[in-house]
Amino acid sequence: MATWTWFHRFGSPPWVYGFAARWAPWFGGAAVLAMLVALYGGLVLAPPDYQQKDAFRIVYIHAPVATLSMAVYSTMAVAAAVGLIWRMKVAHAAASACAPIGAWFTVATLATGMLWGKPMWGAYWVWDPRLTSELVLLFLYLGYMGLRAGIDDPQKADKASAVLAVVGFVNVPIIRYSVNWWNSLHQPPTRLVGEADMDWSMVWPLLLMLLAFFLYFGWVLLIRLRAELLRRERNASWVREVVA
Amino acid sequence: MSEFFAMSGYGQYVWPAFGIGFGIVVLIYITAVGSLAAAKQEARRRLEMNPPGETG
Repeated sequence: MATWTWFHRFGSPPWVYGFAARWAPWFGGAAVLAMLVALYGGLVLAPPDYQQKDAFRIVYIHAPVATLSMAVYSTMAVAAAVGLIWRMKVAHAAASACAPIGAWFTVATLATGMLWGKPMWGAYWVWDPRLTSELVLLFLYLGYMGLRAGIDDPQKADKASAVLAVVGFVNVPIIRYSVNWWNSLHQPPTRLVGEADMDWSMVWPLLLMLLAFFLYFGWVLLIRLRAELLRRERNASWVREVVA
Repeated sequence: MSEFFAMSGYGQYVWPAFGIGFGIVVLIYITAVGSLAAAKQEARRRLEMNPPGETG
């Protein structure tokens, strides 16, 4: 019962606004600290790869942004589904706040992947299943934002964009498993725990950088969510109180 | 130090990758903070145009 009471608070825009204001600096501080330590570990402490030499260090930026490009879309799709099913305004606001963050992570994934692909494959771009499905992800983010921007009625925009976000989620497992399902130039998934494919001296900075990027996502999401709630609730009395 | 920046001959790929990646990280933060500042400014403007207690 107590769990559900806690969950219901997330349906209250003023409560979520206050929650986001309180927690964002903690996420931000932890993200920056973890990023700096992981960068030192990845660029300085980790030894060069026996095949790729120092080019492998691109993994410390490419893998986190690629993981986040999919994680942000998954968050957006779940928030959109919650908004559709339970008609929660906060959930639609969260989905809307996710889209630009995820789109930029996808741009970073494609750009860093191209810079890794050139020395390893001899080409910046190939129409490989992994690369192509990641490009489709960027189009899904842009389509989501375009659809929202193109509909004047906020409630209709919420519904239409939520349907697109939920339907587009089918692309996330396609990206994840494309290297297993089809012949691909892209390497298969790397095991980081258990029987890891990399030495621990290479793995820990990557795990820490992944954690740092998740914390960073939490930070910027909470900031964007506050902005989104202020715009949506502009006529509410609580907004007058917080900006007065 | 020059060896570190050379990245065994892959520096021309490694450093731009980190530059673009973290450049986008900074850009996401700046746009998020800008979005919040703009939303607060808009809310304040509405408050000034329509103070509490007034109707319409």
